[in-house]
Amino acid sequence: MTVVDRAAAPYRYGAPTAATRPVVRLRGITKTYRIGKEIEVHALAGVDLDIHAGEFVAIMGPSGSGKSTLMNVLGCLDVPDAGTYELAGENVGKMSDDQLAAIRNKHIGFVFQTFNLLSRLNAVENVELPLVYGGDRHDRRARALAALGQVGLADRVKHRPSELSGGQQQRVAIARALLNDPSMILADEPTGNLDSHSSAEILAILQRLNELGKTVVMVTHEPDVAAHCRRIVRMRDGIVSHDDPVLEPLRAQDEIVSGIGGAE
Amino acid sequence: MKLYDSFRSALQSLVVNKLRSALTMLGVIIGVASVIAMVAVGNGASQQVQNTILSLGSNLITVSPANLSDQGLRGAGAQSQNLTLDDMRAIQTQLGSSIAASEAEQGAGRWQVTAAGQNWNTNVNGVTEDYPIVRDWPLQSGDFFSGSDVTVNAQVAVIGSTTATSLFGEADAVGQTLQLRQVFGGGGQGQGQQRARIVNFKVVGVLEPKGSTFGFGRDDQILVPVTTAQRVLTGRLNVVNTIVVKATSSDAMTDTTADVTNVLLQRHNISDPAVADFTVTNQNDTLAALGAVTGTFTLLLGAIGGISLLVGGIGIMNIMLVSVNERTREIGIRKAVGARRQDIMVQFLIESMALTGIGGILGILLGWSITLVVALIPQASGLVLVITTGTVIIAVGVSVAIGVVFGLYPAMRAARLHPIQALRYE
Repeated sequence: MTVVDRAAAPYRYGAPTAATRPVVRLRGITKTYRIGKEIEVHALAGVDLDIHAGEFVAIMGPSGSGKSTLMNVLGCLDVPDAGTYELAGENVGKMSDDQLAAIRNKHIGFVFQTFNLLSRLNAVENVELPLVYGGDRHDRRARALAALGQVGLADRVKHRPSELSGGQQQRVAIARALLNDPSMILADEPTGNLDSHSSAEILAILQRLNELGKTVVMVTHEPDVAAHCRRIVRMRDGIVSHDDPVLEPLRAQDEIVSGIGGAE
Repeated sequence: MKLYDSFRSALQSLVVNKLRSALTMLGVIIGVASVIAMVAVGNGASQQVQNTILSLGSNLITVSPANLSDQGLRGAGAQSQNLTLDDMRAIQTQLGSSIAASEAEQGAGRWQVTAAGQNWNTNVNGVTEDYPIVRDWPLQSGDFFSGSDVTVNAQVAVIGSTTATSLFGEADAVGQTLQLRQVFGGGGQGQGQQRARIVNFKVVGVLEPKGSTFGFGRDDQILVPVTTAQRVLTGRLNVVNTIVVKATSSDAMTDTTADVTNVLLQRHNISDPAVADFTVTNQNDTLAALGAVTGTFTLLLGAIGGISLLVGGIGIMNIMLVSVNERTREIGIRKAVGARRQDIMVQFLIESMALTGIGGILGILLGWSITLVVALIPQASGLVLVITTGTVIIAVGVSVAIGVVFGLYPAMRAARLHPIQALRYE
């Protein structure tokens, strides 16, 4: 099978990396949903996409453009009907449910719009969760505490989600996403439920993580938010319609300092 | 996922929903408690029945006359009068030390008794000298009459403890004289002359009180030598109603039964045991038959408890399904961060097993308290309530198994949820 390897594209967005293969390599990904018996929705109609280590990518597009489906495929929550998906060199297109669970555990850190923390657990227990399903138990607590420190919540470790503000909850979620040192942080509208100050804080954390070398993929429909990334992928009708670098990304840290959205 | 984490997570969610967990457990608690209590009562009842049988004497083989029948016709109540005192003596001499003891009895019916100015009416029974050994029934005072008393038709009597107090009060009955009377004639309305037969007996011993068997008081009776009963009281010479043989041990009973049958067949000149004019009853058979009855009874009680346990189990399934539904989002989150199907399944299974396991233990405690309360009921006094370790192990095992069985379907539903749908669930 001879497939033209488009990974050799000239552009490298984001921080320079030594990796020769991309972290994410999508080729001809299609996904069709059936609504009822007759209507077929081509959510993804042949998506080709490469994301390299250290990139900060925004995926944008209107409702029905397929960006949520793409996000599910990228996060190994769903399998494509056709096409190949390589994540960190592994072909995850045809894996079983349990294999995908292991991949999610090892390679992907999720940050959701609705935070998705377990209300029964406190902050540090929520952060520990990925290590409950993979990895050792002995240094679990220490690693969770370190991750919470990284997002500036070292003084909130015993708080339940209901005792935290939205921004703080999202920071707990980011700490959870960081815990297994994943290949990619996948953020689905991470600022969608937050005020502008908390949004700026979350974006600042994601930018800082990206500067430290983390690959971040963020689905958003807000151009202001996407402007903080280094590359914007636009979806339309199930395919990638535009794929542009952001030449001068906004710096969320500056917005916090200049007081946009008010001080904490 | 480590088992430790599963347990922690399961217990946590039980603690969070305290009231719901407690109510769900209640079904299992009541189920297990009723199994435990019911089976304990059943076991106690069968123990009591067994004790009652054995209080008539242990290891007994009873010979009684066969019912008379002639080519399929059977006379109502008619029994052949073919067992004799000599039959009993023959058994004694021929079997010798291979049996523990034997005795023969002839009932003499009810008699009016007077002594020391008191009147009493009671049953008189003719027996032989080994009666106390065969019946495991020692004397409270005095001595039982001897073999020679039987030989010479002595007019001596051993009386039950109730009879003794009725006739003699607190005074020592031994050495006193009592009179048995029967009234003939009269024809009613004071016409004709009434004649009374009066026979004097000397009391030589008083039996220890023994309580009642199946409601029949056995401490109110008068025992006289069987020969005296035959010649003086009934006139049915030489005939006895029953011969009772006591085997040396429970194990020897089958052999002894065969021996007794052989001796009697020989004496009665019968070659085919099927047409024997007597029947031999082995006490072990009686015990086994009654054991089967009480066993069925216990099983029935256990089944009633089992049904409530089943209902409790269905309650568990119900609440686990609700719980899975309620926690769909949690399942989605856990799956997103890497939980496999079996991790989710084990989590919910452990949750339902913890519910039933804890419920089972509490149920045992409740069942045990119920037996303590039952023991306080006067009608149940003497009922030994037996909770065996077997019952406890079965009850806990069954309740944990119920947790697995009724938790499995909800757990599988949880495990099969698709992560995206679970995450989007509101």
